[in-house]
Amino acid sequence: MVKRFTTMAYDDPDEMTFGVAKEPVKAGLGLTIGDGFTTPEINYAPRPETASSKEKLVKEYKSITTDIMDRMVAVGFPGVVLETEHVQEMTNNPEWGAAVAHAQKEIMEKYHDEYGINCALRHTPGDIREDRDYLRLREDKYDTLLKSFELLAENGVDMLSIESMGGKEVFDHAILRDDVPGVLFSIGCLGAMDMEYIWKDIVNIAKKHNVVPAGDTDCAQANTAMFVAGGLLDKNLAHTLAIIARAIAASRTLVAWECGATGPNKDCGYEGTILKSIGGRPITQEGKTSTCAHSDVMGNLVMQCCDLWSNESVEYHGEFGGTSVQAWGETLAYDCTLMNVALKTGTEKTLRDLFMLSDKYRDPQGYVLAYPNAWKVGRAIVEDGDDLYLRAKNAALETCNILEEGVNEGLKLTRFETKALRDAKIALEGLPDDQDTFISESLDKYKKEVRVFEPKRNYDL
Amino acid sequence: MALKKIKERSMALDIDPDDILVRYNVRLEKEITPEEAAEELYPDDPLLKPIAQAVFVGDEEGVVAGLEKAISEGREPLKLIDEALIGGMNVVSKLYDEAVIYLPDVMLSSDAMQKGIEYCKSKATSDMKPKGTVICHVAEGDVHDIGKTIVVALLRANGYNVVDLGRDCPVEEVVEHVEKERPLMLTGTALMTTTMYAFKHINDKLKEKNLALPFVCGGGAVNQDFVSKLEFGVYGEEAPQAPRMAASILSGATVEKLREEFHKH
Repeated sequence: MVKRFTTMAYDDPDEMTFGVAKEPVKAGLGLTIGDGFTTPEINYAPRPETASSKEKLVKEYKSITTDIMDRMVAVGFPGVVLETEHVQEMTNNPEWGAAVAHAQKEIMEKYHDEYGINCALRHTPGDIREDRDYLRLREDKYDTLLKSFELLAENGVDMLSIESMGGKEVFDHAILRDDVPGVLFSIGCLGAMDMEYIWKDIVNIAKKHNVVPAGDTDCAQANTAMFVAGGLLDKNLAHTLAIIARAIAASRTLVAWECGATGPNKDCGYEGTILKSIGGRPITQEGKTSTCAHSDVMGNLVMQCCDLWSNESVEYHGEFGGTSVQAWGETLAYDCTLMNVALKTGTEKTLRDLFMLSDKYRDPQGYVLAYPNAWKVGRAIVEDGDDLYLRAKNAALETCNILEEGVNEGLKLTRFETKALRDAKIALEGLPDDQDTFISESLDKYKKEVRVFEPKRNYDL
Repeated sequence: MALKKIKERSMALDIDPDDILVRYNVRLEKEITPEEAAEELYPDDPLLKPIAQAVFVGDEEGVVAGLEKAISEGREPLKLIDEALIGGMNVVSKLYDEAVIYLPDVMLSSDAMQKGIEYCKSKATSDMKPKGTVICHVAEGDVHDIGKTIVVALLRANGYNVVDLGRDCPVEEVVEHVEKERPLMLTGTALMTTTMYAFKHINDKLKEKNLALPFVCGGGAVNQDFVSKLEFGVYGEEAPQAPRMAASILSGATVEKLREEFHKH
């Protein structure tokens, strides 16, 4: 059953902080997420050559897991989450992923038993639902994907996640052409529809095995926009458009929770603060500690309301200070220690505001994701929470309004960003008021413009 | 409606951002508008200028209308490709390189130029000669193709004939196309570390078949160290480097020279 959010979990954005969620989540071995504590979530990638066989992968992940647990204990951290984002061989061959999960969990149990360290294991299968040219969201590979989830839940995984990619075929076309209605259609409509399709099944599998259906992220689209937008001097996409895509993504990523997922959502979902303001569930975020994977223009700000704090991904290899997972894991854990001290001393709101203010004016993306503004985007979404199209459009328009007001408060935009914002707002205001008309018009347009768009096959449209 | 009644509190803390950060893009933004900058670069010929302008603003219908008019007044379709379409696109490329316009402008202009080229070809009685051919692909096993899409658009915008092999392209297929097309450059992109090893297989097979050519590899997972180990490998860190690399090759640059010019790390 899908239960749409039509009210906010937080009546006032000032209630929101890191480490505390309205609905904490118990996971794995002694861990409760969002219950007054932040915890590091360490994410890693095996060395590429190990993907050639199941045995090599299992060996690699055993080393990774042991290294992380060793370091957490050696430096005295009370809890840790490990996230294994699958290399595609592990999802295409579900028994490979299951073997890795089983091996990892055995090691984590050993450390939990021996030292009492609280820990949980998240696995994120790859979204393998495509062939060379086309998305194949509902065909053979979907069955393989569900089998992967099933075997993972049977083999010790505590939290299930995915970075689903419905709508990406239209999004990639639209974002490179400043086509904001296309971004709205691809993320807000197609992406949300696909999430509903897939998350009902993931939640059922999680319930059957008593594990946590955690959440999604719009990595495939909003993060693509963020990466294409790049740094301040890149000239590929206006950052004002990247944040509009992000706000729309919040409406989409929320669907996992509406299908019964409980959080924490995935680390690279920078839309997390918006989700938390609506759903009150714990979120994972990444920022300054994910510079091992990508640069970031809001590295501190995104810590403001996190419950798990992640490094996105780092390839497993040696560093001067140990292996890469030990180095980045320790950094994450020290960040969490600081946040936890703030929570224990009642200074968490001050620290939250310091995180937020350090990046609020760095970039339009950070400005909108600053928690008081993120909360406003959330409020715009729930005002039409029952309508996937209208709520996504609300999020986009509210983002335009926030940015326009921001200019009067100290946010500096280039003329290019200002023009892109103005054009986007005009385009959004010109859209129809009802979902059916918008979808019908969009189908006509993108069936002509996007060769690989197959709405009937992938979305039953 | 109840939501409307919720009181929004103002933030307890705020700051003058100028004390802690610099928006260098705002500080360095050029005074000239894109339209003003383009106006200085269009061809003077009254039949060519409207076509170049339509390419610049990405107006596909305007491009075709301008071409129709020029052809009806006796201009050669293939010459119009060079003089009006590529001419208009040169304006776009120059202003993109100078950071006056952005990638979506290039994409829209590229779409309009392609439309115009198809129209001119349909009206021409002989074949056109492109600047050179480049083959682009996404590594076998990898379906992330937005980077490749950008590379293709930028190469076409600069007058190259691009054979786009798409995503998840088998090694053998890449090699077969190189053998058949004999391009001046091959590009490969990969987002996932596990897929970039396909580049090594391609490199080895090209070597086996004596098909030496610069093989530009880039994408999220790819790094300069990995690419430098490939005999033909040149690391492409950013998409806009692709047309510059092709131009260098046309000027005689070897793999070694390209590495000297483009390897930054």
